[in-house]
Amino acid sequence: MRDVAVIGAGMIPFGKFPDRTLDAIAWPAVKHAIEDAGIPKKDIEAAYCGTALGGMMAGQRILKRLGITGLPIVNIENACSSSSSAFREAWIAVGAGVYDAVLVIGVEKLTRFGGGTLPLEKEDWEVAHGLVMPALYAMRARRYMHEYGLTVEQLARVSVKARRHGALNPDAQMRKETTVEEVNAARPVAEPFTLFHCCPSGDGAAAVIVVAADRAARYGVTPVRVAGSELTSGRYVTGFRDMTSPEITVRGAKELYETAGIGPEDVNVAEVHDAFTIAELMYYEALGFCARGEAARLLEDGETSLGGRIPVNPSGGLLAKGHPIGATGVAQIVEIVRQLRGQCGPRQVEGAKVGLTHCTGGGVSGFDHGVCSIHLFSR
Amino acid sequence: MTQAARELQAALSLDGDAVTREGNGAPHLVGSACGDCGKRVFPPTDVCPDCMSENMRRLALSRRGTLYSWSVVHAAPRGWTLPFVAGYVDLPEGVRVFAHIVGGDPKALAFDMTVETTISVLGNDDEGRALDGFAFAPVVKEGDA
Repeated sequence: MRDVAVIGAGMIPFGKFPDRTLDAIAWPAVKHAIEDAGIPKKDIEAAYCGTALGGMMAGQRILKRLGITGLPIVNIENACSSSSSAFREAWIAVGAGVYDAVLVIGVEKLTRFGGGTLPLEKEDWEVAHGLVMPALYAMRARRYMHEYGLTVEQLARVSVKARRHGALNPDAQMRKETTVEEVNAARPVAEPFTLFHCCPSGDGAAAVIVVAADRAARYGVTPVRVAGSELTSGRYVTGFRDMTSPEITVRGAKELYETAGIGPEDVNVAEVHDAFTIAELMYYEALGFCARGEAARLLEDGETSLGGRIPVNPSGGLLAKGHPIGATGVAQIVEIVRQLRGQCGPRQVEGAKVGLTHCTGGGVSGFDHGVCSIHLFSR
Repeated sequence: MTQAARELQAALSLDGDAVTREGNGAPHLVGSACGDCGKRVFPPTDVCPDCMSENMRRLALSRRGTLYSWSVVHAAPRGWTLPFVAGYVDLPEGVRVFAHIVGGDPKALAFDMTVETTISVLGNDDEGRALDGFAFAPVVKEGDA
């Protein structure tokens, strides 16, 4: 595999745009990424578009707006990991030498469903029996609280931290800080979660330009190297599984660290899949930032806040930046690229050299998660 | 299949052939056991998820299991009666079942407590008709399995 780099990153501020079409939401992010890279659009040889619920040929609908047509456009669905999966396909294709420069898009418009919990696949057995994502994470949370003594107040602090970071990010959907009291006084969704323990529903788009590393110099921008790429599916389990530790992320992180020759101690900044408060804590442990059962202490000690040892979700994460699901994977990469370039202003992680993005996708019976994609970046 | 079993399945549109009743009328779940490798699965399946054998046999599952975790759910798609309690129940055959937990105050639920299969109204279909399905309820008295 050749070395691969990201040379351009763009996104739109996440929010609710029910009056805009999917392509109208997405094209500004794509244009922003192209301009950021300084790449002529004729140099883009292929495009990968990740969206879970955006409908047929989202990539074609978006790219015709900018006259980027007549090239291979592939649309990729992998639930909340749709665009992180698209990014991995781009990395494979460029790394293998099939293309020298490609575009990756993540996009979603959840307002088309009119709010409420994320629509899941109704043919799935547990979904057909009433499973919704907040309930699944809430059951993980409750068991984790039982086994490790975690409290609802500690859980709420994840949301408080996310909003504190999100307030510094002009692209975040939730920009108002909150308190433990406010989080726990919000309306109940799936106990122990109130609304503020859950990521908001919304719309958004993000895009990056991926090139062979030896081509980056010609565009005159600082390349961010892709230092490792991991994608795996969950293991289907029909019986007992330990819901206090996310099997797929533990396994995926281990594989990635081994192949990349980078360990959790080397990571300076991470964007992880905090769809619900408990998720962020479980991912501290799964990604090796702390030992099992120590996540709440890591948070309370400020280690994962801006200024701490390993800031997690400086963008605000899914809880504050928002989670238009198909857009999330690339949006995480946009944040890490900006962090490694030192472009993040008040939320900059000083001196960050290695960054990690982590994205999962669930909602299928018998899996911890259906998919998990983790990437490492370095400068 | 008996007439009673057919009627039960027609009534339990959610559950298909995954629920049946014992001679005394008590409902229990039905899974599959692989005739070749012994793998046990719920809901019933026609191919083994371990060895790909199609030699799957119906497996009557115990009525009682233990509650692994649960959540009182206040937000769900239209049709479900809110709030409801969602839970995961581990049965002695080594299968985990997602189910509604019914019967009493959710505050009385406890980790690893014994729960028992029942049939309950879980919501309404698009025409407003009651939607019955399997659920689990805490065992309140010993000996009433």
